[in-house]
Amino acid sequence: MEAIRNMEFFNKTLDPVIALSAIAILDIFLFLVVGAWTVGGGETMMTGLFAQKVMGTEAVARIPFWSLVFKPNPLYWKIYISLGMLFGSFVSAVLSREFYLRFPRRLSEWLMITVGGLLMGIGIRFAFVCNVSTFFGLTPEMNMGGYLSIIGIIAGAWVGSMIYKRILEG
Amino acid sequence: MESAIAESIAAFIFGSVAGMLVQRSRFCNTAALRDAILFKTYRNTKALLVAMIILTLGFTTFMTFGEGKPMKFDVGLNQVIGLFLFGIGMVLAGACTVSTWVKSGEGNVGAMWALLFTFVGMFLFSLAWSATFWPPASMSMTGDPNLKALQFGYSNAATLQEKYGIPAVVFGAAQALVLYAIYRAIRRKEIAREKKLGASLPEQECSGCDAHASRPEAAE
Repeated sequence: MEAIRNMEFFNKTLDPVIALSAIAILDIFLFLVVGAWTVGGGETMMTGLFAQKVMGTEAVARIPFWSLVFKPNPLYWKIYISLGMLFGSFVSAVLSREFYLRFPRRLSEWLMITVGGLLMGIGIRFAFVCNVSTFFGLTPEMNMGGYLSIIGIIAGAWVGSMIYKRILEG
Repeated sequence: MESAIAESIAAFIFGSVAGMLVQRSRFCNTAALRDAILFKTYRNTKALLVAMIILTLGFTTFMTFGEGKPMKFDVGLNQVIGLFLFGIGMVLAGACTVSTWVKSGEGNVGAMWALLFTFVGMFLFSLAWSATFWPPASMSMTGDPNLKALQFGYSNAATLQEKYGIPAVVFGAAQALVLYAIYRAIRRKEIAREKKLGASLPEQECSGCDAHASRPEAAE
């Protein structure tokens, strides 16, 4: 364990260009096997599965979205990309001594995260696309949806940045 | 059933490695856009562009031979509006879909909270969704442009190849060149800035992902 912890990989920040290049090569393999890297679809399926747990299977099935678009299915591969990322980052954080609980401090931060999270969830479902599919799936496939999404996300990030700046300065 | 398990295992392995690499590099998609807009720093933007160049060449090469599994659904104005909302949300939350999972794995409670409300947002949307009306109703998705439903149909490198008889990878190479030109422009800007300051700029760590969870003093 100590030997692993002492590896340079867990003690130095990795150049993001190297990290993302490695992820891109793996993503090409994933594209050949099941499909390109995506997160939003898996999160939607998890939402459906959580809803089933809370509300019951029948109540969820009565909502058209969950019977027509995303029938809750625990063996949907996209769920496991997200769970893998959680697991991989947890292991990596523990090995590099970077795991500790950290909390937002101010009420305004909690509020921004809440609104931000809601907007992300609604936005993904409205678009049928998340930021990962935009940059690491659709656009490299040269899907028209990728270009439409990039227009949207850059405009949104700009508006968000202006709000963020105002809050930081205010 | 068996293939679903195999797919899930492949996805989990990919996710684990990606999670580890993102954690070690502090890559952040939110910062790739926000820092470029607000602070004119491009640490994450450059990584994003390099990944997109590799992916464009890789995907379109395989698509030329009919290999790979590209996403297949009609697209339309809902992508612009949806990602616009998402873009605002990710900057406010200080995290995107990847960093919410990666930061949650590091013990960041703010990221877990963002994730929770992403799920809530998705559920709220599911209540409003209609099978017959826009936004993206399956009935309006025919594969062809359907302007009444604000849908533009389905097109990617493979459909371009089919339509024009030019290999998909040629289109891919053109896109890769455009992405490279953007990368070069950013590098030139950085070099000019370094020269102006008379010294190399210190490599900026990702501030974006941790925007709402500063390191507690007592944690060490």
